[in-house]
Amino acid sequence: MLHSDHLTDRDIILLVDGELRSGARAAREHLEACWSCRSRMAEIQGAITDFARAYRESLDVQLSPAAGPRALLKAQLETDVVRNVEHEAAVQTSPWWNRLFAGQSISIAASLMVACLVVFAIFARGGGWRAGDLAIPRNSLTPGETRNVTIDDVCGATQGDTARTVPVSLRKQVFREYGINDMRPNAYEVDYLITPELGGSSSIRNLWPQPYSAVWNAHVKDELEDRLHGLVCAGQVDLATAQREISRDWIGAYKKYFHTDKPF
Amino acid sequence: MVAMFERHRNPLLRYLLSFRIATPDAEEIVQEVFLSLFQHLRRGKSRSNLQGWLFKVAHNLALKNRMRAQRQSPAAPEAQTDSAPDPEKQMADLQRQNRLLAVVKALPELDRCCLSLRAEGLRYREIAEVLGISLGSVANSLEKSLSRLCRADECGRSHAAQ
Repeated sequence: MLHSDHLTDRDIILLVDGELRSGARAAREHLEACWSCRSRMAEIQGAITDFARAYRESLDVQLSPAAGPRALLKAQLETDVVRNVEHEAAVQTSPWWNRLFAGQSISIAASLMVACLVVFAIFARGGGWRAGDLAIPRNSLTPGETRNVTIDDVCGATQGDTARTVPVSLRKQVFREYGINDMRPNAYEVDYLITPELGGSSSIRNLWPQPYSAVWNAHVKDELEDRLHGLVCAGQVDLATAQREISRDWIGAYKKYFHTDKPF
Repeated sequence: MVAMFERHRNPLLRYLLSFRIATPDAEEIVQEVFLSLFQHLRRGKSRSNLQGWLFKVAHNLALKNRMRAQRQSPAAPEAQTDSAPDPEKQMADLQRQNRLLAVVKALPELDRCCLSLRAEGLRYREIAEVLGISLGSVANSLEKSLSRLCRADECGRSHAAQ
């Protein structure tokens, strides 16, 4: 930390923002006793202040008044809201077959039809699961399982820290357990019931083949996972509660946390 | 949403202008940033550190805008600095300001971004998140930049050698 008996610029810079981890106490004590370091700290802070002033003064002259852009934003937001309301109303009043394909691309509709045909073929042979059945995992196969994690582990993790990729061998095992050997795997996401971002384990007891084609599909569950992670890290929902709710009834949890009876 | 716009519009605009993006384009990007924020909140996503989130989206859009602009016309226009109408009293300040800005202009882009975000009041952790770098890299960058600023401003660093 110390260089030639004084704090380095880096120490001072980190100390200013409360980010000096090792030796912070010693650094503060040194600062109290050392006029030279206090003076240097003032110089550094002064340099930042001077730059901030120069930065603002040089750029503020290019700023236009906020009224026009504010009005434009309001108008765009209103248009967006109206468009959503109209879309939802149209979906609710249209026949069920239109609702099925409303707002979806032809490829999704085609995928659904293919999925239906495949499901029909499997049932014709007397076994397997329908896509709708698998929106919720079978409790005996996938009760959900967690790792031993703390709130800091969960909220300190970045996307790269939590490995989500399920090995191919494990994916095959999951498909076998659910008796869907004949189905094309890309119709499903082998998903974690309790997401790793909420401390879910990579055990097979926490994995199930979640269909993309069902109304309550893998994409909808992803939204819930993001929502719950945010709530847990904001301290609004207990981690154990989030794990319990998503593993017992993730659709119910979605309805609860998004205040809706159907997915957005 | 409008309150957020009132609070963060100018800081975001300044940050975008520091990339030498033309004011009308910067205004458009700010609109895009707030529409994205609206979608983000509507989907119930995290509300923590929205200031950092806004700057991160703005930063990414600024890079995208610049890449597009470079493809269209390789020569970027120089930013104008208006001289003050009251030169006698403000000349020294102006010279100092130009000196500081000249130093900053010569810095690598990452260092300029770190300084600009700091000037907008972001903490080091937030800067690290916006730029996708580590906290240590932010500290290194600021150390380097502030040392150059100090040299340009003739503030000494004699005590380390004492």
